[in-house]
Amino acid sequence: MKYPILIAIALLSATISLEAQQKAPAAGVKTAAAPPAKGYVTPKTPWGDPDIQGTWTSDDCIGTPLNRPANLGNKAFYTEQELAQREGQLARQAAADSQEFAPTDARVGTGPPSHWAERARRPCKQTSLVVDPPNGRTPDMLPEARSRHVPEGAGNNNPKADSWEDFSYYIRCISRGVTGSILPVIYGNGQQIVQGKGYVMILQEMVHEARVIPLDNRPHESSNIRSYMGDARGHWDGNTLVVETTNFLNGKNGIGLNGGGTPTTDALKLTERYTRTDPNTIQYEVTVDDPKTYVQPFKVAFPLTQEPGYENFEYACHEGNYAMFDSLSGARAQERAAAEAAKKK
Amino acid sequence: MRKALVVLFAAVVLLSVTVPAFAHHAFAAEFDAAKPVKFKGTVTKMEWINPHAWIHIDVKGEDGKVTPWMIEAAAPNALLRRGWTKSSLPVGTEIMVEGYQAKDGANRANGSIITFTDGKKLFVGSSAGDPGAAPGTTFK
Repeated sequence: MKYPILIAIALLSATISLEAQQKAPAAGVKTAAAPPAKGYVTPKTPWGDPDIQGTWTSDDCIGTPLNRPANLGNKAFYTEQELAQREGQLARQAAADSQEFAPTDARVGTGPPSHWAERARRPCKQTSLVVDPPNGRTPDMLPEARSRHVPEGAGNNNPKADSWEDFSYYIRCISRGVTGSILPVIYGNGQQIVQGKGYVMILQEMVHEARVIPLDNRPHESSNIRSYMGDARGHWDGNTLVVETTNFLNGKNGIGLNGGGTPTTDALKLTERYTRTDPNTIQYEVTVDDPKTYVQPFKVAFPLTQEPGYENFEYACHEGNYAMFDSLSGARAQERAAAEAAKKK
Repeated sequence: MRKALVVLFAAVVLLSVTVPAFAHHAFAAEFDAAKPVKFKGTVTKMEWINPHAWIHIDVKGEDGKVTPWMIEAAAPNALLRRGWTKSSLPVGTEIMVEGYQAKDGANRANGSIITFTDGKKLFVGSSAGDPGAAPGTTFK
């Protein structure tokens, strides 16, 4: 009867946690980026642009949900007390990680094991990655968007994997899109920013995107020219790099982690803001405006940090993607089993 | 009571160390929850490839017959960041694997728990399988 006890404890813990969350004082609704640290002067490149170069990672918000749990309402940030609890969780996680022996009662699952994951170094202060609207949730989708097909691996848990084309563009190693390439996921969150006169380049580790962003006020490409990562144009607003990206392909990636969720359309416009707030932090935010998918624009934000020894490594995604083969042959095996079961009836 | 507290602590630790759903691929599409596997094998090679490394092992059956198996490991970059090097798992090392077999019945498995034969963890991190990591999305 071990499992009923564990389930009861899990439910009890969830209830306690829910109550604690409901009783916690509501924090102010903050949606703006954290202001630069007092007295911090953004360094400049030799040609006078704000210098945001370095290799940054969104690791600290690994596990923070895109959409805030509804019971948290407009509470955008954890309280100091809750952050201390989360710090304790990270410490327990580190302690569990450093145990020499595997626990004898470790659970076996079909999901990615915990030992696969990279770790946050400090607790994420936010309760969700969506920061505006104030409830921290993506706005409603239009009826047509709600019926749009979501590929396997991008949120479709009931797939019919007839072909590799039924899988998400991420699983196919093609692209995670702009937001999917920077939102924190379990590993590979590196963002290397390199500046040249008139350009910013952002090299994103997983799926290996390089965004080359011109800063010379040139117009966007013709609307006939479209791509997974869109056509980016940047400019400086004070010390903040503003990047406006349009010309996306229709119906490819969603806005979520790794490009998951309902695919966005060719009407998508993303406006990103990168503000260095101290030597090792960039506050990142992106406004998502896709009038063919959402009833209103919304904003996602989280910090990027520089960490000692952290660097980007090559990610040659299709080098040995056995998982694609296994998933397709697994679907065929299921079909055969279903056909045999039907024959026996 | 003491035992209950230990169980409670273990449950809290387990709850706190779960990871979010997104790995490189759809796990439930690849591995079969109805085919649990647990065996000892000898490492024949480790493929440091993207998007995931794979450990190749030879598994000796009770009849002495040797069957090659492949065990999926983390992304090479994540392994490196968590302290792994090319020499971390020499050929000939004996390991224990617990996980689930590929849906198509091939000798491939996810390595939910991988240890040395004395129970020492092979990987730096926790080795508990993550029950919350079914493929899906946190996006509505």
